[in-house]
Amino acid sequence: MMSDLPASYHSSIRADSIDPFLAAAGASGSWDWDILADRLYVDVHFAELYGISPEATANGLPTSAFFQAIHPEDRPRIRIAVAGILAGAELFSKEFRIVTRTGVTLWMHGRGQCHLSGEEKPVRFTGLLVDVTERRRAEERLRIAQTAGGIGTFEYVDGFATVSVSEEFCRVLGLHPTIVLPVQTVNGVLADGAALLVPEMRDGEVPSTLDAEFLITRQDDGSARWIARRGEIIREGAGYRLIGVIYDITSTKEQEAALRELNDTLESRVEQEVVIRQKAEEALRQVQKMEAVGQLTGGIAHDFNNLLMAIMSSLILLQKRLPADAAIDRLIDNAMQGAQRGAALTQRMLAFARRQDLVSERLEVPELVAGMIDLVERTLGPAWSLDVAFPDSLPPVLADANQLEMAILNLAVNARDAMPGGGIIRITGAHCDAEAADVGGLAQGSYIALSVIDTGEGMDEETLAKATEPFFTTKGVGKGTGLGLSMIHGFAKQLGGTFTLQSALGLGTRATLWLPIAQSAAQTAPPQLVSSEPRGASGPLKVLVVDDDGLILMNTAALLEDLGHVVIEANSGEMALEYLRRHGDIDILITDQAMPTMTGTQLADLATELRGDLPIILASGYGDIPAGSQHRIVKLGKPFTQAMLEHALLEALSVHSQH
Amino acid sequence: MTLERISLAELERDALTEIVNIGVSRAASSLRKMIGDQVLLSVPSIEVVSQNRAARLISEREVSDLVAVRQDFAGPFSGRALLIFPETNSLELVRAVTGGELTPQEVLEMEGEALSETGNVILNACLATMANMLQRSLTMTIPEVLRGTSAHLFEVDPAGPGGGLVLFLYIDFAVRSRDIRGYIAMIMDIPSLETLKELLDEFITRVVGDDV
Repeated sequence: MMSDLPASYHSSIRADSIDPFLAAAGASGSWDWDILADRLYVDVHFAELYGISPEATANGLPTSAFFQAIHPEDRPRIRIAVAGILAGAELFSKEFRIVTRTGVTLWMHGRGQCHLSGEEKPVRFTGLLVDVTERRRAEERLRIAQTAGGIGTFEYVDGFATVSVSEEFCRVLGLHPTIVLPVQTVNGVLADGAALLVPEMRDGEVPSTLDAEFLITRQDDGSARWIARRGEIIREGAGYRLIGVIYDITSTKEQEAALRELNDTLESRVEQEVVIRQKAEEALRQVQKMEAVGQLTGGIAHDFNNLLMAIMSSLILLQKRLPADAAIDRLIDNAMQGAQRGAALTQRMLAFARRQDLVSERLEVPELVAGMIDLVERTLGPAWSLDVAFPDSLPPVLADANQLEMAILNLAVNARDAMPGGGIIRITGAHCDAEAADVGGLAQGSYIALSVIDTGEGMDEETLAKATEPFFTTKGVGKGTGLGLSMIHGFAKQLGGTFTLQSALGLGTRATLWLPIAQSAAQTAPPQLVSSEPRGASGPLKVLVVDDDGLILMNTAALLEDLGHVVIEANSGEMALEYLRRHGDIDILITDQAMPTMTGTQLADLATELRGDLPIILASGYGDIPAGSQHRIVKLGKPFTQAMLEHALLEALSVHSQH
Repeated sequence: MTLERISLAELERDALTEIVNIGVSRAASSLRKMIGDQVLLSVPSIEVVSQNRAARLISEREVSDLVAVRQDFAGPFSGRALLIFPETNSLELVRAVTGGELTPQEVLEMEGEALSETGNVILNACLATMANMLQRSLTMTIPEVLRGTSAHLFEVDPAGPGGGLVLFLYIDFAVRSRDIRGYIAMIMDIPSLETLKELLDEFITRVVGDDV
């Protein structure tokens, strides 16, 4: 920097007249270079620094002495600068190292001025030599602090169009490193003009604070950065000086933003989680509701069954005892049909409650399917048609007809839903062995593979894998329970078969029920054999009937008595056991399963302890007979007719006689 | 590369800085007498850069269009010297130079003349000092005022190679209470720059002698 020289320097300085105040003010030494005489005069401090004895300086020194203590590396630079002064440059302001007599290197700031003669010729070069070693170190620390910390400094004096900056300041803004910048340039980096980084000259106002943040566009790479400005405002008379720093806070800002983002998404993640949980809870509630409805339905159906039982038994006996009359017979038949429809209804309710015993019977699959084509086609609607094709001779399967029909209908509805635009649904069957079928979980043996095939949307692997899970549905809310395929799968397993799905996206789905072939006619043979025996052979029997429902008890007794048997009635298991102990001549025990305090199977076990040879018939409307119950016990489904009761008696006696 | 071959050694740079410093000192002295106010001048950097780079160096610092006073010089090294101001500064400079006694209309009328005169003082001081210190003589044309962008001033042709070299002296000169700043640039071709280097080396040898 160049500026006007302080007035004090216009006076001549000689070694013998060094102003003591200058030395006291911190001047390390001073010189007076007489250009015309080519002599150098120095004061005692200068001489001391240069290691020259004060005596030797008394009459001045050769001007070359000025350079003698200067560090060799700095000497050429200073020689050039002095040459400039001697040629008319105004100001000498250089920093350089000197090596003292004791070998210590000190940093000096030499500041001098050239004095011109009246003819504008340089005549004298005077100046001060100030020890700035401490300052240089402080500057070094400041410089390192700036570069290491990425902090740029600036100083602005109001009224000027330029601002003094550090090189780091320029780097932070992406500007070419320099020490002075136009205010306009500094403010030119701002991405928006809301606030100024450095006040512009004609602002007039003194800023209240330097603490602010700015969005800038870095000038070298054009990147958007956030910087912070901090500092102090120093008032000087009417004006002010701003001394401050700037530093990049982009990463802090980004972290703040990331944290905020994380917080925001956390909220939405929690929301998602809550939605999932709500869905699970909803599904659980649905299951519990179904369970409760099932319990309730099962209970009602059970009681209903007993009532129907009483009605049907009474009707049978009534018909027998009334004189033959066509009108009466018709009324009784009507009542009987109504009761039978009620019984069918309770069976469906029990199936819903999953308490129905599977009634396995020999079924001809093509026959069964043929019988339900009308029903299926009506259910599907006009846009879909069935293509039913079975080979000529398929062996029968052992299954529950109702359940199988429901399964086929369910699969047909699924096939329809996979072809929203309509189409043909094929139902086919094939006879194959487990080895040839290559289906997982299928035991050895022969099966009928009953397939329902569509050419619809198909499923991807993920959907296919989940298809038989309970509550899995691709249908909209309210359109499907998601239970259909899982029930079909369970049904097939219960029969000793399985259920498979093959599907390809866009090509369609083949759903196959693997149903075991009915082994032989043996299972249905024994009852036929027994029933073929002469009825009178069994003779009048002494039958112990147990039921907690008085109505049923009375009806069953009436049916048995009508068949010519002697009946002992008990309304609990305990009472029945008491009778068994007292009457050793009881031929057979007929007990209800569902009774309080003691169930039918419990009673059967205790009765067997008393009389190991006692034939037992267990009557139940539930599918609730425990798996471990004695296999010799004959089961009788409620409601039963007199014929069914008679059939059961014969069966029980025949099982007994086989042992 | 050309730039590396031509770039100045540290001492050459010091020497050239010092020589320009002498010239600027004289110019500042003249300017102070003309303006009668405190003038701050600096010679912070001397660079040999391409014309493209020089244009960028200035455009990085100046948003507005520029005004330049141009003088061509010829001698052992020849080229063109430019004193450059932001255009918004030029009237302020005229006002400062003319002592603020003129009406705005008069200032506008005087602008060209005042700028030429100011440019002449500063550029002449620099060029004459250089010639003197390097013990050569230069001839100069009369000053001419140019206006335009930095690219225009440095005659950067977008289609051309833009490979000419510029001796770029970035001089801040600030006048207290006046929004004035400017730059000095000398455009020289490579042979001229090589000659300048040789002359600087001669100067260094003369001044420093055995210490090099």
